[in-house]
Amino acid sequence: MPAVSPVISTDGLTRSFSTGIALDGLSFDARAGEVVALLGPNGAGKTTTVRLLNGILRPDAGRASVLGFDPETDGEEVRRRTGVLTENAGLDDRLTALENLEFTGRIRGMSAAEARRRSRELLERFMISDRADHPVQGFSTGQRKRVALARALLHDPDVLFLDEPTSGLDPAGTREVIDLIGTLAGEHGRTVVLCTHFLAEAGGLAQRVAVLHRGRLRAFGHPRALAEQLLPGLPVLVELAAAADDRLVAAVESTDGVLSAAAAPAGLRMSVVDRDVVPRVVATLVSKEIPVYAAVPEPPTLEDVYFEIQDRLAADPHWQLP
Amino acid sequence: MSAGFNWTAIRAVMVRDVRAISRSKAVVLPMLLVPFLLLVVLPFVIGMAARFRSGPDLGNFLDSIPDQLANQLEDRPNSERLVLLVNGYLLAPLFLIVPLMVSAVLAADAFAGEKERRTLESLLHLPISDRDLFVAKLLTAFVPAMAVSWGGFILFALVANTVSWPVMHRIFVPTRLWAVMILWVAPAVATLGLGVMVRVSARAATSQEANQLGGAVILPLIVLAVGQSTGLLLVDLPVAIAIGGLIWIVALWLVVRGARKFTRNVLATRL
Repeated sequence: MPAVSPVISTDGLTRSFSTGIALDGLSFDARAGEVVALLGPNGAGKTTTVRLLNGILRPDAGRASVLGFDPETDGEEVRRRTGVLTENAGLDDRLTALENLEFTGRIRGMSAAEARRRSRELLERFMISDRADHPVQGFSTGQRKRVALARALLHDPDVLFLDEPTSGLDPAGTREVIDLIGTLAGEHGRTVVLCTHFLAEAGGLAQRVAVLHRGRLRAFGHPRALAEQLLPGLPVLVELAAAADDRLVAAVESTDGVLSAAAAPAGLRMSVVDRDVVPRVVATLVSKEIPVYAAVPEPPTLEDVYFEIQDRLAADPHWQLP
Repeated sequence: MSAGFNWTAIRAVMVRDVRAISRSKAVVLPMLLVPFLLLVVLPFVIGMAARFRSGPDLGNFLDSIPDQLANQLEDRPNSERLVLLVNGYLLAPLFLIVPLMVSAVLAADAFAGEKERRTLESLLHLPISDRDLFVAKLLTAFVPAMAVSWGGFILFALVANTVSWPVMHRIFVPTRLWAVMILWVAPAVATLGLGVMVRVSARAATSQEANQLGGAVILPLIVLAVGQSTGLLLVDLPVAIAIGGLIWIVALWLVVRGARKFTRNVLATRL
């Protein structure tokens, strides 16, 4: 298979402010059509990364490439091809939703008629066309996000940056925006860089995640691959009539392929090398005439991976996944 | 390499800003009220006062103003003296408050206002060069400031000449001093207001804060106006032209310095 050059790549990207270092030697990449999530707490360097990749900030060191352009020297070319949803929607309250979008269209070189047509189309798509001619001032956070998302997509960008797209939204609004992003990510091979500290949305959308902490990249890869490295073994909950006693736990533990086992309130919890071990354990239990109600594999979620990383960082602030 | 200006993008920013400002009563009303009071109400009141009363005796006042002007007024009837003195002489430097104030208020909204409304970051993410964005912001303040100033002056000339006609029996505005103020000094002062606001807006978090910081710029003008009215300064034509030139130099220096610091990198660092 021919090597596909990444749409975004960074090499040792570094940037400091008067308050300290915001990004420290970031190297990562994103491929065409991929959703990459930048994860990390506030101040981890996610927004700084987006600003550097769009040529809004200049790096102190390192370099970046977005769609073949260097954001530092060809920022305008990059911004022509990218769409950004900033954490704050950044809409002018005094203008209507339509005017906010039309303005962006004009800056992006559309004719007045084209900007209007495209703006209405996008507002329609994001189900906010009934508010198109209302000043943004009275809009809810969810409505603002939808207008801002429409604005980011007005020119059908090749790369979409979404900085905390669900912050400030209620659960229903969050679900709505995540569904929208899921749809957008699959369109025309568009690359999406998603900055968030909501792990559930990242887990559901991203093919790869980059975990940032204090400006440094601590782990980067597919969530499952990260889980395999950080949390070896497959956790399985075995439901029994009651909590397993020590003898039963020892019997399970001695089964080939079981890494560990412990009693749980209604059975036992074990870690196995892979799924194939589960039938063997169940057979062992059945042979001892112990009724097994269920054996449910519980693969680690992105949340488990993330907090494992945070635990390791708490123990060693310099920790980084090799 | 220096490419040409992207006038479509510049015009788009201007249209957006002016449209947004026009919907903000808190910005528009004071911006129009001062020119209205100064350029419509005051010449009307002075004209009416000159028509219906003999007016105050300005003999002693004439002793304290520059001879050149005093000589022009001395041989006039007292009612004409009042109209000429206020509408033809005192109002000319006071008029400069209009372009200064309008450009400063609009520039504060255009530069610091973006930060205050939290729209700056999304603006910086658009494909418009730093230079075009700066020019757009300058013009957003300069063009309306000059439109209000020149429009205000036309109104002033109409009101002053019409109301004072029974006293003056001739069109006395614009004088040559007014012409210099309108065409030379007013654009310089508008640019000065811009230059100051570009500088203070870089540090101010809100347009109100920028207005307070930039308010200092109005003081020299008030001093000039007070000096003018008490005869401390002789603002005749050559002096007005020279003062205009000086203001242009300072204003352009401020604008150029502001332009150098108006880069995405600097602006985004302060987000």
